[in-house]
Amino acid sequence: MAGVVSSTLIIAWRDIKKWIGRRAVFVVSIITPLIWIAFFGKSMNIQGIFTSRVPENLPPQLQNLMQELFNQALLNAFGTTDYFTFFAAGMLAVFSLFQSMFSGVSVIFDKRLGYMDRLLVTPTPRTAIFLGKVGATLFRLSLLEILLFAAAVALGMNLKPDLSASDLLAAWIVIMLLSLGLSSAYTTLSFYAENQEVIFAVGNLVNLPLMFTSSALFPVQQMPSWLQAIAKVNPVTYAADLVRYHLVGKPINDYLFHISILAVVSLGLFIVGLALSVRWMNNR
Amino acid sequence: MECAVEAENLVKIYPGNVKAVDNVSFCIKRGEIYSLLGPNGAGKTTTVKMLSTLLKPTSGDARVLGHSIVKEPNKVRRIIGIVPQELTSDDEMTGWDNVYIQAKLYGYSRSEAEKRTREALEFMDLLDVAKRKVSTYSGGMRRRLEIAMSLVHQPEILYMDEPTLGLDVQSRRHLWNLITQLKKEGITILLTTHYMEEAESLSDRVAIIDHGRIIAEGTPAELTSKLGGERIHLIMKSNNEAEQLANRLSELGFNVKVFNETLVVTVSNAAKTIPELAPYLSNVIEVRITRPNLEEVFLELTGRRLRDEEPIDSFRYRVMTRRLRR
Ligand SMILES: Nc1ncnc2c1ncn2[C@@H]1O[C@H](COP(=O)(O)OP(=O)(O)OP(=O)(O)O)[C@@H](O)[C@H]1O
Ligand SMILES: [Mg+2]
Repeated sequence: MAGVVSSTLIIAWRDIKKWIGRRAVFVVSIITPLIWIAFFGKSMNIQGIFTSRVPENLPPQLQNLMQELFNQALLNAFGTTDYFTFFAAGMLAVFSLFQSMFSGVSVIFDKRLGYMDRLLVTPTPRTAIFLGKVGATLFRLSLLEILLFAAAVALGMNLKPDLSASDLLAAWIVIMLLSLGLSSAYTTLSFYAENQEVIFAVGNLVNLPLMFTSSALFPVQQMPSWLQAIAKVNPVTYAADLVRYHLVGKPINDYLFHISILAVVSLGLFIVGLALSVRWMNNR
Repeated sequence: MECAVEAENLVKIYPGNVKAVDNVSFCIKRGEIYSLLGPNGAGKTTTVKMLSTLLKPTSGDARVLGHSIVKEPNKVRRIIGIVPQELTSDDEMTGWDNVYIQAKLYGYSRSEAEKRTREALEFMDLLDVAKRKVSTYSGGMRRRLEIAMSLVHQPEILYMDEPTLGLDVQSRRHLWNLITQLKKEGITILLTTHYMEEAESLSDRVAIIDHGRIIAEGTPAELTSKLGGERIHLIMKSNNEAEQLANRLSELGFNVKVFNETLVVTVSNAAKTIPELAPYLSNVIEVRITRPNLEEVFLELTGRRLRDEEPIDSFRYRVMTRRLRR
């Protein structure tokens, strides 16, 4: 058991050290979340669409009334009159979706350059190899999420007034859970895949649909019913809703249901992924 | 005699029905250097991968210090070190980090791992470049780093898969010296190579492997003495011409063999025989005289030369040669 922990740590440490060592990659991966939040979040100015429509020659009471109506509509849809806040919370979940993809790439390179064989001829527990790869991804993601969150707040994300440390911790756990599932899936895929193109192809196939069929960018109630059905089985929806609940205060109907779905899907992917990866390592 | 490594009827059939290793058995004695000599695609790497628990044999088994590679892979992993054919060190990290990580993977504490890292690097003459990124290393340094990485846990048995592939003569000699020193430390070594000089000068015993089968085994002296005498190679323009001359010479009572456009005459004393042959040599392009060596043993057994260079996995090969050229 002690062997698993220390081997996991050293394998993850290697990936993290390489990540930081690649100066250009490191800088780009730090800038990416900042760009995402600033450009995406601020370009989708949905309040702007409404406010600019209130005709100015109307009597002030009527103007106020219309504004009131629009705000009500926004509030119904997003749970806040401020779309950027809605979006930023969703983005924290989506970012984990995209980062998780990279955990696969390092496995493929290790395989192709023969380093994986090096690992496999040591008595390192096979589970530790999988855990190390996924662990490194979670660590990188944690750092980047903190940056992303800080940028969002700096750019005007409205946090809920009674935000507590346990809310922050809960939001972090939610994001880690989502990434645990996704990076397990990508890591497993990489053990079986021959080259990195497979990862990018699958990423392109899966990531954008997962993002758009979730509540990350847009509320589920506004979607046609068939799309709602997809959103309901999409773990990103649950992660986005949970993050939003903890950070912004948008209520959710059944907290326990949300967290259970996310946990079951993610832990399921993790356990199946671990088993399949170990199987690959032992059967060649 | 106790075997350090004993292969028993190893067979490996890759998907697509490629029989890479075909019923291979051998016994490596404790403390010796045992070489698998064979051309590209002979099955050397596949054999080493099975012995190092990376590949499961299709059938057969091997025992490493008594432990089955199939049933007790983890016990085997503790006692072997392996220098793979391709370079596996991470060129984005320092030599030190590469070896240190390896030490940690064998479960040593930080201070123990650091001590072992230093010793392994020192033994391979790499201590003074340890803190440099591996991307700045020469080809020979990278090969030595591979060995250092394989030595941190002080394995009793070391497999080296073509450790001098692609190196210049000087780096190769340096490495040969280090390998000889490893043997002096008491390490049992399995070496694969397709350089016959390497097999001849380093090994206690050699197995010649071709198409997945061991076709001869013995000390280099035993293998070459079977050929006897010296050999005169007569290189002609075509196989046709070679055949014609061969017929003529065998009528005269010479021991002659033809390989493509080369004619090989085995004699007891080449210098004294050449004048005798002179009248028949008008169409010969080149004459070469060799004492019997493993290359010729291979030629004798298979009718082919050892070295028909051709890359293995093209991606790895490119990466490897690119790194070696730097
Ligand atoms: N993964 C694989 N799948 C299918 N065939 C393979 C695989 N690896 C090797 N082979 C085939 O098995 C045979 C033996 O290959 P192997 O790599 O063991 O030879 P080798 O003696 O190490 O050659 P070299 O000197 O080129 O390294 C070759 O015919 C090769 O094409
Ligand atoms: Mg090989």
